[in-house]
Amino acid sequence: MTTLSFSLAPKAIYQLHDALMCLAKFDDSVAIEAEIDLLRLSVLNSTKTAYSAFVFEADGFFESYSFGRVRNGSSSRTAHPEKFSCQVLIKALLSAFKGKTSGRDKDTSVERCEVELQEDLDESECRLVIRLVCGLGVIKLYKLTYEPVHVQHAIFDRSKATNEWSIEPKYLKEITDHFGPSAEHLDIYSEQGKAVFTSFTTKSSDGKEILRQPVHTSVAIEKRDFDYYLAEDHLHVAIHMKDFKAAIAHAETANAKITARFTRPSRPLQFAYESEGVKTEFTLMTRGDSPGEDAPGSSRAAPQLSARQTPAPVQISQRNTAPETAQMPPPRSRSIRPLTGTSTRASQSNTETQQPPPSMEFDSLFVPADDDRQWDVPNDEDEGPVEDELGWDATGEQTSTGPGLRDIEPRMAQTSHEEEEMGIPPTQRMSQLHGLGLFD
Amino acid sequence: MRFRTQIANASIFSKLTASLSSLGKVCWMRLEKDFIRFTIIPDQGTQVWAQLPIDTIFEEESYICESNTGAINLEVPIGALHRALRSAVSAKLSNLRLTKKGNVPLLALTIRATSWTTTSNALDIPETTAAAAATDHSSSTIDNSATTTTARPSGTGPRERETVITQEIPIKVLHESAVEGLHQPRCRDPDVNILLPSLIQLKSISERFTKLATTNSSNKTSTAGGATSTTTAPSLSSPKLELSANMHGSLKVAVGTDAFRISSVWTDLLNPSLDPGQLDEGRELGQLPSERMREVPADDEAGWAKVRIDGKDWSRILSVGRLNPRVVASFINETALVLYVFLPGSWNEQDSCLTYYMTSYAV
Repeated sequence: MTTLSFSLAPKAIYQLHDALMCLAKFDDSVAIEAEIDLLRLSVLNSTKTAYSAFVFEADGFFESYSFGRVRNGSSSRTAHPEKFSCQVLIKALLSAFKGKTSGRDKDTSVERCEVELQEDLDESECRLVIRLVCGLGVIKLYKLTYEPVHVQHAIFDRSKATNEWSIEPKYLKEITDHFGPSAEHLDIYSEQGKAVFTSFTTKSSDGKEILRQPVHTSVAIEKRDFDYYLAEDHLHVAIHMKDFKAAIAHAETANAKITARFTRPSRPLQFAYESEGVKTEFTLMTRGDSPGEDAPGSSRAAPQLSARQTPAPVQISQRNTAPETAQMPPPRSRSIRPLTGTSTRASQSNTETQQPPPSMEFDSLFVPADDDRQWDVPNDEDEGPVEDELGWDATGEQTSTGPGLRDIEPRMAQTSHEEEEMGIPPTQRMSQLHGLGLFD
Repeated sequence: MRFRTQIANASIFSKLTASLSSLGKVCWMRLEKDFIRFTIIPDQGTQVWAQLPIDTIFEEESYICESNTGAINLEVPIGALHRALRSAVSAKLSNLRLTKKGNVPLLALTIRATSWTTTSNALDIPETTAAAAATDHSSSTIDNSATTTTARPSGTGPRERETVITQEIPIKVLHESAVEGLHQPRCRDPDVNILLPSLIQLKSISERFTKLATTNSSNKTSTAGGATSTTTAPSLSSPKLELSANMHGSLKVAVGTDAFRISSVWTDLLNPSLDPGQLDEGRELGQLPSERMREVPADDEAGWAKVRIDGKDWSRILSVGRLNPRVVASFINETALVLYVFLPGSWNEQDSCLTYYMTSYAV
């Protein structure tokens, strides 16, 4: 049996509402996990390409917070309290935690919010009870149903991320203002002191439909607009535009500097920020040519040079530059692969710099690659989810060699591993099983 | 074939494309040495032919337009061009050029926008006041939040930051032969020429009339459906406005259904006369129908020329009011309405003109 109760000040209610609004952009239901010192709300979208999580610290965010778990009928709290996790529809939570707009009526505006989990095995009803204490003695009571769930987390090892930058979200917001409404994806890379954000859409388009093709928009801002920019030049990572917009929209309301961490294409990228007792992270699968795939991965950077490249020269350059990136632990089955793209890209960019185009011409440097790799594939939408499948580890420890159907197997292995960590899953059925024991 | 230029007036260009995009999705853009022309010929509805001198929107010194035939003809998704130009409105430098990516011809718009960073994040201000306001309710959480806010390092001082935006709009290049057959509609001399009143006023009144007639006619069709023949049924969905004018400065907008009839009249408007130099040889000003209409007394119904036009279409045309132009309406009784839209501020107003052609619906 789990006891969980916490209370929130009005400001925290609004923050919670903002967080839920943001999570609602990823999927319909949110996973709630309670631990001794934190409450975590997380959503993994249906295609498993985007994961977002808000961690509310017990001390910093709540007015009061208490969590306890009683196991096997013994009344003492276990030394290592388990997690409690459940899943709730975001819509239901949003109707309870209304935003600031509900504060129109000053007299009956919310003064405090108390949330309690009613999980009593003797009762027929298990509910998440939200009590909003308002002015003039008005009390709004919500009893929400929840369902037990194995929460899946996207694992992202920050220490292994080789690229990192941090920026005020308003600058990113300005960038998205230039993109058209139909833009689906966002490609991010840097060169010559600038960070370039490009929108693109993978919709197929035959010659007749030229005018229907989406506008390509690329926005370049100076690296000094960033708090710091420590990412490799010419490294393209692409994410879904709507995930990016959801992240920066919330970062802006939270007024927190946003930090991006990533290693390379087809590995997850994480946006993270902290504000007032809330830690937020968005782990997004990136697309783009994974270095080390069958085709030379750096074709995006210099299609003219790499499109017909044979694997042999790539191998050579790998070995040459292997020591440079030695800090990255080589994954088992693809020990030199992560280096491929880096090195070829670097060598190619050297060739490119001999060419005259100045920074104004940057569009021609990489955009044609989209024609080669993405615009050509008419059924890309069908394949998209598989290709974008979110891995479970940013470090490349999984045996899979890239995004594809093969990802399924390692992911299941990871999931079962996670279950072990959680101990007995806190489902209704399991706990009822204990209740039936002879010696309880 | 080469085309590149600096954009001198992104605001006018953007407003122009906004007005044009309300009439159709695809625009024929013809670039010549001295003029640019935008033409929209939708399957049905109003045609617009806009001709502008280069310097209305482009910087003349940087304007390069090279082609074997002396003109470049492009088919441009006008909505996309408009969206792209919105990024350019507040920028100090924007450049438009014709280019190619793979096999796809593009109009590439490169914009250099600058802005100033602020010393402290402007967003902090509402945040801290919000925190202060909330202190009444609780202290523990707020203390924590306040320290977070103040602990944030302030910026290094104001500096100029530059953003480079490129918008690549896929287009089609049209061969000269593809556009040879296209020419401006020819129509007989107008019966009445009149300078329209404030377009925003005209637009709001026309839209209210259209709305009234729409709600009313939908009721009517349900009650008196037997009287409505099948041929007129589609036209009922968007009501027709009756526009009429005379050569004595009066313009009337009216709409009528079985249930009501409503009209609005403007008086004391100007009736410009045609420049005699524009007349074909062998004709005199007095022979023009409009001059004959001027002879008709003001209170005579015969002095009015009337057209019937689609209410929604009219409202879309009037969106050109955002350019703040002078508009002369030429009425050809029961046949057509031609609007001459002259942009303000251009060096020679006569050169920059958008011409809208609307045919009148039969009763």
